[in-house]
Amino acid sequence: MEIYYEDIKVGDEMPPLVKGPVQKLQHVMYAGASGDFNPLHTDDDFAKAVGMDGVIAHGMLIMGFMGQAITDWLPRKYLKKFGVRFSGMTRPGNTITITGKVVEKQNSGDEHLVACELVALDENGDIKVTGHVLANLPTRI
Amino acid sequence: MADKLKVGKQYPAMHWQVERGKIRELAGAIGDTNAIYVDPQAARAAGYDDCPVPPTFLTVPVMWCGSMAGAIGDLGINFAMVLHGEEEYEYYRPICAGDELTGIPRVTAIEEKTSKSGRKMDIVTIEILYTNQKGEKAARQRIGIVERK
Repeated sequence: MEIYYEDIKVGDEMPPLVKGPVQKLQHVMYAGASGDFNPLHTDDDFAKAVGMDGVIAHGMLIMGFMGQAITDWLPRKYLKKFGVRFSGMTRPGNTITITGKVVEKQNSGDEHLVACELVALDENGDIKVTGHVLANLPTRI
Repeated sequence: MADKLKVGKQYPAMHWQVERGKIRELAGAIGDTNAIYVDPQAARAAGYDDCPVPPTFLTVPVMWCGSMAGAIGDLGINFAMVLHGEEEYEYYRPICAGDELTGIPRVTAIEEKTSKSGRKMDIVTIEILYTNQKGEKAARQRIGIVERK
């Protein structure tokens, strides 16, 4: 089903996406896919040697979850901009929920822009990643 | 600490062939089951030339080409103190399987900041402009790394 600029209102919420619990195996898969082989994400002994309790997930994996949440809602091809700030570390076993809402609409010439703010929280409500996305949607007119 | 004289410095171009297999692998690692990432027919039906890349795909050429590691070394940043602070993409046109990307990394900012707890840190921003095999601007990536001091 196509989504149009006119269908979206400021304050609308993106359908939430729940991911996880995050598995250590997923860290390994993400390391191989992305090419980020920092052992902090895959080797508990290394992580402990640098003062962590154990491995942590790649921040980019959580950004990937956020990208999935957005594109489950708005088609991939309409994204103009997508950015995040990494706030907290994600550990194996964390369940991540992505939520977002529309904060602005802007109709300028041939662009029909929708701006959203997003957040990724774990099961305790701790913030892992905050994000923003700008999409250029088709119009019914 | 990061060498502030290097703001504006450009690093060697990265060349990356976008492969269906790598798109499938990244979507699989994220657990994103959208058919457009694995099925060229589903992708074409959704308006793409071939399987498009997931929104965060551009991290793949950067990491596999070793561009961040190279820049971090050149800037004199202590790798053990580095955190990934921010990541942003601007998408100019679809990037799909079969595309050949050229990315030019450039240092665009080095700023010193103090955290709420009073700790000093440098925020280094690397921007990468990607063009495709037709010479068209495809995307811009901004990577913000934090060097704790």
